[in-house]
Amino acid sequence: MIHQYKLGGYNIVLDICSGAVHVVDDVAYDIIADFENKDKAEIISSLCEKYKDEDDITKEDIAECYKQVVSLKESGKLFTPDSFRPMAGELKRKTSGVIKALCLHVAHSCNLNCAYCFAAQGKYQGERALMSFETGKRALDFLIENSGSRRNLEVDFFGGEPLMNWDVVKKLVEYARSIEKEKGKNFRFTLTTNGVNIDDDVIEFSNREMSNVVLSLDGRKEVHDRYRVDYSGKGSWDLIVPKFQKFVKERGNKNYYMRGTFTHANPDFLEDIKQMLSLGFTELSMEPVVCASGAPSVLTEEDKEVVLSQYEKLAELMLEKDKEGKSFTFYHYMIDLKGGPCIYKRISGCGSGTEYMAVTPWGDLYPCHQFVGDEKFRLGDIWHGVSNIGIQDEFAACNVYAREDCHDCWAKLYCSGGCAANAYHSTGSVTGVYKYGCDLFRKRMECAIMVAVARELGE
Amino acid sequence: MKHIKTIETRNLCKSAKNGGCGECQTSCQSACKTSCGIANQECENKESK
Repeated sequence: MIHQYKLGGYNIVLDICSGAVHVVDDVAYDIIADFENKDKAEIISSLCEKYKDEDDITKEDIAECYKQVVSLKESGKLFTPDSFRPMAGELKRKTSGVIKALCLHVAHSCNLNCAYCFAAQGKYQGERALMSFETGKRALDFLIENSGSRRNLEVDFFGGEPLMNWDVVKKLVEYARSIEKEKGKNFRFTLTTNGVNIDDDVIEFSNREMSNVVLSLDGRKEVHDRYRVDYSGKGSWDLIVPKFQKFVKERGNKNYYMRGTFTHANPDFLEDIKQMLSLGFTELSMEPVVCASGAPSVLTEEDKEVVLSQYEKLAELMLEKDKEGKSFTFYHYMIDLKGGPCIYKRISGCGSGTEYMAVTPWGDLYPCHQFVGDEKFRLGDIWHGVSNIGIQDEFAACNVYAREDCHDCWAKLYCSGGCAANAYHSTGSVTGVYKYGCDLFRKRMECAIMVAVARELGE
Repeated sequence: MKHIKTIETRNLCKSAKNGGCGECQTSCQSACKTSCGIANQECENKESK
């Protein structure tokens, strides 16, 4: 399978199944487009006609280019057939029963009242609740017990707002650190916070213990304050921005992301990225809102065109900033062409419900944070393990080849079939496809690869 | 005349032979939490690349 596109002044050709990326001139671009549908003579003759007014493109030149395309095909870098289907599910079978990451819902409560929150103001359609230390400790033990030979274990302190249960978070980190060596494990903690309760203690502790912190900021003040308000309706931007700046400044080189959400109110989210940059933040993530259809914040078909164009402009901005020596990171444009994931990972999906689970404040297990609150997806609990085998099997069977809609998609080995929660909420099935999200994803990948190509070529 | 520049990439077909250790990060754990994509993930198996 081939995908070819023009962006940022480059003609880019992706050979999907080998992972090869080529930058080609117009002649090669045209030959590759016709290669599988026409014979050699037909291609050469039609291109001679097309380029007849261009002195530097001769028939010999076109024939030479055709030879180069054939040579790349023979060396497995173009038109590589898809032979991966038999491997679908293999990684999950190999690592069956191994859990490597937990999302700990330490607080089903929040000090903000954001109307667009997928977690229903942190309560996940349930009652307010805080996780006790005993429950959290048992969750960590459960993770260790079920992690097999895997050394690196990921734990995300999530909510709601995890800083509403900060003392328990600290005690859980201390507990994990006290046992990780003897258990042969290495915990990597992430804290996701709205920033309201950040103080010096949070900054000092997190910058020592958290591998990553995810800080929720939607960008421009008027955009952020539209949704991210307290229970009196007051926007939180003025309160949290100085805290985030201090947090990040003192973090040194450790990972963080400013994580924003864009909605129907700001499909022009590049302005929010620029705002984050002007505040001194360089590690950025902006996500399309996840909400019920019909909600005021939901992105419309009209918004989609704006968003797609914003992604292209964002790629241009990144390259401009590179030239100024002010490079920044956009989470969805991070791509390591030389050392990215292996094919097993690329076809096996996100791992929700199998190697990744969410834990509620009272110790119930769900396939991921986005399914919490939907009782039929409850997998079991941290004391007795997974009991809902039927649901777990559904998630274990999720892979890119299980999704009919992905078969002919060029981006399938970059997205691994997409988010099960998005699929479920838009189609009623975890093996469905959230098509709106697919359109955005494909554009993001085109942009990400273009940026990587431009950086590689040093242009 | 060179018409095609090939960027160095990981060969996915070869990765089928020595990949699949499962040590890599869970896909949406680190930042997004609302979408999936594995392209931005790092391979943790330094010997397989």
